Amino acid sequence: MYKYMFKQFLRTNTCKLGLFLVLILGVISISIGKQFLKGQERIGSHVTEKQLEHIQRNVELHSEDIGLLLYYLKFAVISEVSPLAALSIGQKDVNPSVQSVSILTLEGQKYDSDLVNPTKLLFGNLDLSFILLYVFPLLIIAFTFSLKSEEEETGTWRLVRIMSKSRLQFLLAKLSVRVILLLLAMCILFVLAGLILSIPFGMAFLAFFVTGLLYILFWFSLSFWIISLKRNSSFNALALLSIWLTLVVLLPATINNFVVTKYPVPEAFTTNIKQRDGYHQKWDTNKRETMEKFYARYPQFESYGYPPEEGFNWLWYYAMQYLGDEESSKESEMMRTKILQREQMSRKWGQFIPSIHTQLAFNDLANTSLSNHMYYLQYLNDFHEQTRLYFYPKIFSNVNGKEVDWSQFTPGYFSLSSKVNFRQIFLPLIILILIFFGLSLLNMRRESRVY
Amino acid sequence: MLEAKNLSKTFEGTNALVNLNLSVASGEIFCLLGQNGAGKTTTINLFLGLIKPTSGAALINGEEVKPGSNTNQWIAYIPEVVQLYGNLNGLENLDFFSRLAGYKHSKAELSELLIKAGLQEADHTKKLSSYSKGMRQKVGIAIALSKKAEVILMDEPTSGLDPMSTDEFTSICKELAAAGKSIFMATHDIFNAVNVGTRIGIMKEGKLVHSSDTDNISANELQQLYLKTI
Repeated sequence: MYKYMFKQFLRTNTCKLGLFLVLILGVISISIGKQFLKGQERIGSHVTEKQLEHIQRNVELHSEDIGLLLYYLKFAVISEVSPLAALSIGQKDVNPSVQSVSILTLEGQKYDSDLVNPTKLLFGNLDLSFILLYVFPLLIIAFTFSLKSEEEETGTWRLVRIMSKSRLQFLLAKLSVRVILLLLAMCILFVLAGLILSIPFGMAFLAFFVTGLLYILFWFSLSFWIISLKRNSSFNALALLSIWLTLVVLLPATINNFVVTKYPVPEAFTTNIKQRDGYHQKWDTNKRETMEKFYARYPQFESYGYPPEEGFNWLWYYAMQYLGDEESSKESEMMRTKILQREQMSRKWGQFIPSIHTQLAFNDLANTSLSNHMYYLQYLNDFHEQTRLYFYPKIFSNVNGKEVDWSQFTPGYFSLSSKVNFRQIFLPLIILILIFFGLSLLNMRRESRVY
Repeated sequence: MLEAKNLSKTFEGTNALVNLNLSVASGEIFCLLGQNGAGKTTTINLFLGLIKPTSGAALINGEEVKPGSNTNQWIAYIPEVVQLYGNLNGLENLDFFSRLAGYKHSKAELSELLIKAGLQEADHTKKLSSYSKGMRQKVGIAIALSKKAEVILMDEPTSGLDPMSTDEFTSICKELAAAGKSIFMATHDIFNAVNVGTRIGIMKEGKLVHSSDTDNISANELQQLYLKTI
């Protein structure tokens, strides 16, 4: 029976066109992912090379005045891009993977990122996660909306009812043909992605695959539930497309709007003002007061004493720079907290909205989520402090720039290897699948008990 | 064996079938005649379990037709227009539906069934969308044969068939009856009813107003009786 169900379905134009389309789009998305990865690799190797040149050139020019040298020098921190990021580019298209910072105030430098092509942002990324989240559900709708109604509308249902032992089994078999074909298409795309993008077969890749699989099964269970309501093809198609539009477009946009309104971030502006004021006002403040604040935070440098009130001094200058960050730290922390609150709120809602949940899970697994970027910024804070603390004594005692071992200043690398929380990722999807599948079975069984 | 006991069906206050009592034993062909809307298809639908009787019972092999009953296992059905899957050929449609009923036949057996139903071998592997109504009807007969059903319900099966196909069909029905099947056929074709049936019934406004054997009645006599009755 299955053989003929496959034959029958594979011979339809809907099936041929649908599978062709999803495979072509899938391959395009993988090649877009490949381009993205290549671009990131190119940036990474370029940064290493340029940083070396940049240090050498400035050391040649300013080695006699290490304070001035460090004023110019920038040190890069690269957020390592997982090969899985090619499947779900996520926030990586707006948040930079490389930040080069000097040891001056950090806050302003954190958001001093690369220029992003706004046209590209407008269209978004056609990565594999997009295909899974947007295209696969549409295909599931096209493949299933008339699963039963087409039998009724073409007149074969009567014969099927009389010939088959169980109507439910017949419909389940028909549904499983479509499930198998679409999962096969998904498997082909994952195998291609694995080979083309050289993704190591690990827990993250496995979790990514299973998340995609569960998301697809969710849409099948939802479609089956609509089918079980025993309406005609037009109703089924309209209902499913409305649900698609709501789950994939309207709700994510509404929730995004809600969290942005609920957690406004004026700190994005005030942090910048505080940091600038914190530093600039020190030019008009007496040096001792500035130095006292600096030594209160870093007593280990107290032995360098207090510079004279008249004239310029690097010790005083770097203390002023530091205080810019220090005085804006509350706002900065507030901003970070609010951004994380936005993320948490989205995750909370996402538990009930599979499209949001799946997108967030993909981004988490690919290390392209907003929280991943927040960890990167935290790492940048630590990197900045370590670098400052390394150079402060050299600046304060005016060591010759040529005496510093610059070879150790290759770009810093940030990578996040978080454990995959299978329960957290899979459970919401599994629950929704069981609910819709259970409701469908109830409706179908109820139908088999009536004429 | 097929049996109706005080079987009635009312649709929104209109009596479609009123206290039908009849039985079709093994080896019998019962032809039910009547005008459009007389209640012939309603009777078939009640035996198929597609609609719920208002009162009384439809029985197949002594078991009442109702949701959850297994009466469908004994029934085969040939409608006026056999609707099959257009993107499968005749052989594939036959194999599909017989597998659906739980029967696995070899390719040779399937071919034999189609030939027995009157479909030429060259047509077996042609796409169903290229089939005429008569050819589809023959696949429908083959499907009914494949199920090895004890009761065969037919709703105007010869409607639209050419005389040769009708003749072939009549022969098949007789063979099936000789093999012990109970056949219940709703038809407008008086000549065919006399030719194929062992018993005939005439239905008017949901009531079986005449029932007799076909042994002592000619087509002309039946026509007169039919016109007088309705």
